[in-house]
Amino acid sequence: MSQDKIGTDQWVEQYQGRVNRRNRVALLVDRASKRLPVWAWLIILALVAATLPLLTSNDLVIRIAGNVALLGALALGLNVVVGYAGLLDLGFVAFYGIGAYAYAYLSSNFIGIHLPTGITLIAITVISGLFGLLLGLPSLRLLGDYLAIVTLGFGLIFQQLMTSMTRVSIPGQPSPVNLTGGPNGILNLDPIRIFGWTASSVTDYYYIMLVLLVVMMLVIYHLYKSRLGRAWSALREDELAAEAMGMPTRRLKVQAFATGAAIAGLCGGLFAAWQGSVFPSNFDTNLLINLYAIIVLGGLGSLPGVLIGSLVIVAVPDVLRNADLAGKLFYLGAIVTLFGALKPRWQTPLLLIAVAVFGLIVKFIILAIPSLGWAPLPPVGSAYLDVIHSWLVAPANPVLTGNAGNIGFAALLILGLGVTRIKNTWARFVVLIPTLYLLVFVWETRLSQEASVTRLLFIGVLLIVLMIYRPNGLLGQKRVEIV
Amino acid sequence: MAIFFATLPQQVINGLTLGAVYALIALGYSMVYGVLRLLNFAHGDVYMVGAFIGYFVMQALIPTSVPVIVIALMLIAAMAGCGFLGVVIEQFAYRPLRNAPRIAPLISALGVSFFIENAVQLMLTAQYRTYQTEKLIPPSLGISIGNGRLSATRALVIISAVVLMIILQYLVRNTRLGKAMRAVAIDREAAAMMGVNVDQVIVFTFFVGSALAGAGGVLTGLVFTNIWNLMGFTAGLKGFTAAVLGGIGNIPGAMLGGFVLGIAETFAVTFISSTYKDAVAFVVLVLVLLIRPQGLLGTRITQKV
Repeated sequence: MSQDKIGTDQWVEQYQGRVNRRNRVALLVDRASKRLPVWAWLIILALVAATLPLLTSNDLVIRIAGNVALLGALALGLNVVVGYAGLLDLGFVAFYGIGAYAYAYLSSNFIGIHLPTGITLIAITVISGLFGLLLGLPSLRLLGDYLAIVTLGFGLIFQQLMTSMTRVSIPGQPSPVNLTGGPNGILNLDPIRIFGWTASSVTDYYYIMLVLLVVMMLVIYHLYKSRLGRAWSALREDELAAEAMGMPTRRLKVQAFATGAAIAGLCGGLFAAWQGSVFPSNFDTNLLINLYAIIVLGGLGSLPGVLIGSLVIVAVPDVLRNADLAGKLFYLGAIVTLFGALKPRWQTPLLLIAVAVFGLIVKFIILAIPSLGWAPLPPVGSAYLDVIHSWLVAPANPVLTGNAGNIGFAALLILGLGVTRIKNTWARFVVLIPTLYLLVFVWETRLSQEASVTRLLFIGVLLIVLMIYRPNGLLGQKRVEIV
Repeated sequence: MAIFFATLPQQVINGLTLGAVYALIALGYSMVYGVLRLLNFAHGDVYMVGAFIGYFVMQALIPTSVPVIVIALMLIAAMAGCGFLGVVIEQFAYRPLRNAPRIAPLISALGVSFFIENAVQLMLTAQYRTYQTEKLIPPSLGISIGNGRLSATRALVIISAVVLMIILQYLVRNTRLGKAMRAVAIDREAAAMMGVNVDQVIVFTFFVGSALAGAGGVLTGLVFTNIWNLMGFTAGLKGFTAAVLGGIGNIPGAMLGGFVLGIAETFAVTFISSTYKDAVAFVVLVLVLLIRPQGLLGTRITQKV
């Protein structure tokens, strides 16, 4: 960046231009979004989304859409803490859980309380906000890292206590009390009732989640533009400078943390009502990682980014339960990645041809040794998969196929990591050929068989790769570090 | 009260065993934090991988070899494998982010942890595996201390942990690399200007820290026998708590913190309720942060400008 330093004033003046030059997608979105005010965009979005139940009567599709909206709203809350204020909150899911359990306590036969939905929702928002305050106060006294680990612990403990507090001795009670329902959770929660209207179908809850999302976006948009929101972003950019400007940094942090917790609590309450029950396993680490993937993919601190992230992370895996479709997307993704990553563009088609030839040679050699007992993978009745399967070879015994897939996976990891370290274009090209062949082999023998684990693996890789190559996500503002 | 004193020796022994493992994990956490100011969330998963390496070495060697050699090989293989894994993690996930905003390596670490857990699940499924400790060390072997009994396995765990810590202490205090490591921990830039090869020191730190976690994994397997792919998550958290308890970045502190936490947890389980087993570490962590944030042996951290 040294060539940019023409003189401090000029350099500062060019800041916006530099930001835009580095992030074309964000610039496009930014320009588009400026044509209309935010509320107009939101109304358009809401109207488009609201037509979904008219287009399909498939409950599964509507349920997925509802999940996108719910997790989108939840991720917006996380975005306030992580994206705006720059605090790494790893216990966020626990607040979501607190909201859900609070809803369960206040509107089920578990304790026997059935409050009106409106009051319950306000109560759980306040309760989870208070929990956030309670946890934030001690951990925010120190460096930001402590917050990460304390909240991580809090999330873990929450889930474990909800599972194990089934026989708690309370002074004054003759026998141990079941406080949480344990692993079996709390069942038969009241549905949402507002003004005499009771939500009963998936479509009803879809609309509730949509309203939640739109309201949340409006609130957070205005929050971000407010004095408090600007203070948060100042805090994130440079805590020391913010403090020197007289900002009460500690109070700001606790406020951000509690705000996030309150939003999570509200979302949790609605989730519990929708599911009609709560279980400790609803609030595990997978959810946390998914939320982080959502906000990191979209770009920390970006509102439309959260929507896109939520759509990708929540909806895509559900749509891809179809193995055929998943395979197509996987190969397409791999080819697009190659096109993006390999610099002389003509390398990619050449590479694909080379992999195909390499595969044929491997197949020829291995099938020539019958004592190995390897054969082409069995056809599955889908045109392109049958082509790939006839081109790959694996042990004929299915158990051994799985083992070969595992060994291939380990080899793929080593080769894949190795490839990124090779600087020489041609050497990399040569190593890429077996790597890609191995990738196809591992996908067909192992990854496509274990769709749920594979999805989590990809999310893990996504987090690492995004942090390294595009820490601002798809739509986030590029931070130009001032040297 | 009578029950308390009757079970006290046994509880202390159990606590020390647990604490030895926590201390080994805490050391890696603390060293990495000292050098890089980075919370390595993947550390607990490195420990889990260590336990699995030990398991597979054991499965391969039990029918043919002498128990002592098997245990030694398990430890060596796990330490070497985990040390290598730690270096790979540093190279690929943390090094590119060395000058990024603080939050970036933390999220990357989260991704690494998640990746390792699921990669192990993909290859080995999520089921529990059981160490056949009884084939290596006869359960009847051991000595009585008061009302308690120190079995040979627990003695092995405590002794190996202490030996490893003494070696570490020697490495850090008396070798050039150890000296360089301490210099980098105090001020990375100044150390670099004095000619310290910072990258090399960081690689060394990751190697040693992860190797200790690997040893911790094998020792856990030997004592508690059950291992699975998510065991690292809780263990990592407790290791960190131990590190904070002792004073983060402080090596003797990490050891002390591990033992204190192990004993506290064992006592809590025995004398209060096993419901709160994992909550103890968390309560200890919050209390330390409230009362003595620099830990038992640490010095106060001042934020550098």
